[in-house]
Parts: sequence; structure tokens; C-alpha cells
Amino acid sequence: MSDPALAQPWSNRRTMLLSRWICYVIATLLIIVLPLIFNDTYWRTNLTICAINVLLAIGLDFILGYAGQLNLGHSAFYGLGAYVSTLLIVKLGVPFWMAFVCAIIFAGLAGIFLSLFAVRLRGHYLAIASLGFAVIVHQILLNWISLTQGPLGIYGIAPPPSLVIAGVVIADFRNLTAFFYLVSGFTFLSFLLLKQLVCSPIGGTLTAIREDEVSAASLGINAAAWKVFAFGVGAAVAGAAGCFYASFVGTLVPDAFFVSESFNILAMVIVGGMGTLVGPVFGAILLTLLPEVLRGIGDLRLVVYGAALTFVVLFMPGGLAQAARVVLARLGLGSHS
Amino acid sequence: MTATIVFQQAINGVVLGSLYVLVALGLTLIYGVLVQINFAHADFVTLGAFAAYFFMHLVAASYILSIGVAFLVGAALGWLINASIFTPLRHKGNELLPLIATIGVSVMMQNLMLAWFGPIPYAFETQYSGQVIRFAGIFVSWQNVIIIAVSSLTIALLYAFMKFTFLGKALRAVSQDRETAGLMGINPNRLIMLTFVIASALAGMGGAMLAPVLVLTPFAGTSVIVKAFAIVIIGGFGNVEGTILAGLIVGLIESFTTQFLDPGLIDIVVFALLLLMLAIRPTGLVSERREENV
Repeated sequence: MSDPALAQPWSNRRTMLLSRWICYVIATLLIIVLPLIFNDTYWRTNLTICAINVLLAIGLDFILGYAGQLNLGHSAFYGLGAYVSTLLIVKLGVPFWMAFVCAIIFAGLAGIFLSLFAVRLRGHYLAIASLGFAVIVHQILLNWISLTQGPLGIYGIAPPPSLVIAGVVIADFRNLTAFFYLVSGFTFLSFLLLKQLVCSPIGGTLTAIREDEVSAASLGINAAAWKVFAFGVGAAVAGAAGCFYASFVGTLVPDAFFVSESFNILAMVIVGGMGTLVGPVFGAILLTLLPEVLRGIGDLRLVVYGAALTFVVLFMPGGLAQAARVVLARLGLGSHS
Repeated sequence: MTATIVFQQAINGVVLGSLYVLVALGLTLIYGVLVQINFAHADFVTLGAFAAYFFMHLVAASYILSIGVAFLVGAALGWLINASIFTPLRHKGNELLPLIATIGVSVMMQNLMLAWFGPIPYAFETQYSGQVIRFAGIFVSWQNVIIIAVSSLTIALLYAFMKFTFLGKALRAVSQDRETAGLMGINPNRLIMLTFVIASALAGMGGAMLAPVLVLTPFAGTSVIVKAFAIVIIGGFGNVEGTILAGLIVGLIESFTTQFLDPGLIDIVVFALLLLMLAIRPTGLVSERREENV
């Protein structure tokens, strides 16, 4: 797919940029207002989980939607981020934010390790290799009991320390609203960063590799290096999500990072519309809230979830992003991101 | 003493391995003709196991017959998933979509089974589990004898079908080159359906025979399928001989890891082997001309 921005005249590009900034302002306002509207613990918790899942989904979309690498190992990066930060804090007494940075770096390195397979493998082979990677990481977390306490899990993980400037407490992260602002703020910044990346020539390079690796290579693109880059960035984002998850939930068990979590994140990307970045944001929000909304029907809620996923693929393969584009075109608003 | 243990574990490994082969062969056959992965294959294994269980408890207490029932249930599911998911998506030209759709189907099936059968593991006892043959210090239950007999017979029949019958040859032709096979007057759509039915029937009967070994819950198939994926890759995707060899190797690794290391390490050893294999020889044990993925 060609970037519509390049095909359109200059004035149209300016309108597009303007509408994009309007969207960002609306998103910021929503982030600020939402926890004030939903002022009970249950919904504030869900909102924060939504923000964490959005972070996971946009990271995977960068690898899958833009670089076209079929990665089923995202749960491993997520889990590594969570366990590395928690173990550094609990066992070594490392300050939270330093552990946060370490989690990001470690997950990024894990992504680079997996990308070394992606350099040689394609399509389904990569899917199974990354699935295998996720299984190994889950099993290590489960079996290295002296380090991770295995299936018993790690309990009582502290939230990030309060933000104190000149003796004044700016934000106390034991407060759910403050935690939500922290995570969604970081998620928003990550989104902007990834958006900048995919709108820059790097995005075009990655898309070229996704569409046809041989042609891309013939244009002088070093596909291997860019795959390493895409995996590194996407995995690092997942590492940050893992660190937030651990300090938010306060409990870590390996089963939170089973391969099915990779499938969940993948579903968010697909339902949202992969390769659009904004689609997976809505995909993540929808698929996080859907099982909660369906709690009333008990055991059948995940049946509906599975059915929804199947139906989206069968009848709306471009996901919510495609549906939105169709609706906007009908309304005569044209396409904008 | 050690020699006895080694021999005993070798037998256990072959029993387990031959069941993994049944499940993995289905994946490999589907991959061969369609270059697609069916994630719901895991749930065909589980549903086959439950079908056998309920047949034995509600209809007739014959284990052999219940394996046949599981075979039929699997075949029906294979027909259903091909007709509802793979056929409509074949012309969309995106290799990812059917894979995601089958993940959705898998989530749906697992939770339907959870709603019907509950999370508590079922104890799958057959009249053959307790009957043991002793031979030079080695124990083999009749259950295991049946598993080896039925699975090797099935694998031999499948192999003969692929090698000697017209349909089998057509199937291999489609898996080598779908367009050319179509030009030769073979209807690929009917063969793809046939492949799905055979593959899923194998998964169902594999489930019926795995049930006494596994902890039978709605999620039982997942642990098997993850290993089956490893087997398919180690053997070389789409390659029948390679899959059989790799399945037996993984079965043996599992039983020896349980004996000499730690049962918790099984998946780590198997998947480390998988990643090593992909790093060194991505075409699998028995390589075929299938360059597009490697």
C-alpha cells in the first residue's frame, strides 16, 4: 500500500497533518477525562490494563504490520520485561525507574536475539520459531524456581515510587488514577514515537521488506539489519509494558505470559487492523473491554470473544481501521490516518 | 538395572512419539497441500479425547470402538473447519488470515468445552490400563500395545495411501505444485477437503489414545499441539517421513528427560532442539524443495 500522503497534493497533506493533531488533542483529553468519569476501582483497573495492552499491541504491530514479521513470541518479551524489572527491584533493590530501563533494554535484546532467526526464516517457519521461543521463556520462568519462585509466583510487588519534586508529592502511584495517567502517558508517547518512525523513510523501508524482500534488497535495503531493528523496538516496547504490568498488578505468575497471551495480543492487532498503528489501539481497547462487558454471560464470554475474532477475519479482514475508512469514505470525509 | 531403565523409557518414548506423529502428520499434510497452519488442530485432539471418553461411559465400554468414534468426530471437524474458514479465505491471498481465524476458532472451542465439561480433569481409565505384560524386568501395559499397534497401522495405511493409490498420488501432486496439478485435471479443492478430513481424523484418534496419558481438560490439546509444531518443523514442514522420524525423536527425548533430568525441562529441551534445528538446518531432517520459507 502506498502512503496516501505522498500521492496527494500539498494542501491535502496539510489538512491531514492538522486532522492528525486534532486527533492527538482529543486523545489527550480522553486520557485525562476517562478516569474521572469512571470513578470506581473496577473500571479504573480496566482502563490501566487497556493502556498496557495498547502498548503491547502497537509494539507487535510495528514488527508484524510494518516489517511483516510473523511474531508469535510477543508474550515472551512481555514476560521478560515483567520478571527482569521485578527481580531487579525485589532481589537487588534497584530503584524502580532504573529497573524499568533495564527491562526495556533486556526485552529489546531478547527481540534482537529472536530477530536473528527472522533473518533466515519467513512466514510460518518464523511463526513456529517465535512460538517456540515463547514456550521456552514461559517454561524457564516456571522451572527456575530459585529465581522466579515458579508457579507460586512473586507477591507484593510495590508500585512505582511517588513523584516528588521539591518536597511536594506530585503523583502518588498507589492511586489508580495516577497510575493510569503514568501508563497511558507512556503509551501515548510510545505511539507518537512509533508513528514518527513509520511516517519517516524507515517506515517505507520496513513496508518494502514486508511487501517484497527480494525487490527491497535489490534497491540496496539491508533487510536483515532492519528486521533486527523492528524486533528490537517492538520487543523493547513490550518490555516496558511488562514492567508496568508487574508493578500495577503486584503479583507475577508465569502463566500470565503463556503463549496464549501472544495470541491475545495478535488478535488485538488483527481486529484493529494491522499496519495502521491507530487500528491496534482500538483493537486492544475493544478486546480488553469486551470480555469484561460480557462477564454477565459467564463461561460463554470467551466463546463470544473467539467468535468475534473469527468473524472479523472472515468478513472484515482489514479490521476496525478498514471499517472506519469505509465509513469515512461514505461520509465523504476521505481517508486520513 | 540401567539398561532396563533405558529400555523401559525407550518403549515409553516410542508410545508417546507415535501419538505425537499422528497429531503432527495432520499438520504436515495440511501444510503440504495448502501451506497453512491450523491452530484449532489442538482442539480436535481434545475433542477426540472427550468423544472417546463419553462414548465409553455413555454408549459402549469398548476402547477400540471409542478410538473409531474419535476418528469420525475428528473427520467431521476437519470438514467443518475447511468449509467454514479455509475455503472462504483461500482467495484473499493473505497467509496470516486463516491462521488468526483458526486461533479464534480454537479459543471458541476451548471455552465451549470448558462450559460443557468443566475445568476438573477427567480420569480416562480403560480396561487395558491395568493389564501389564512383564518381560525381562520391563513393563508394557496392553494400553501401550494397542497404542503402538493402532498408530503404526494407521501410519502404514496412510503411507501406502500416499504412495500407491491414485488419490494419494494426486494429493502429493497438489502439494508439490497446485497449479500444474490443476492443469493435469486434478481438482485441488476436493483434494484439499480430503486432506483436511484425513488430517483432522488423525488428530481425533490421536486424542482418544492420548487421553489416558494426558490430564484430560478442555486445554489438554494445547500442550500436545505445541510439541506437534516443533515436530513438524524439525522433520521439515510438509514432509511425511521427516515428521515420523522427528515425532519418535521427540517422544524419546520426552521420556528420557523425565527419567534422567526433570519433567519440567521437557518443553525447554524440545524447543531448544527446534531453535537449533532452525538455526543450522532450517529445511528439517528430511529436506524437500520448499525454498520459499527458508
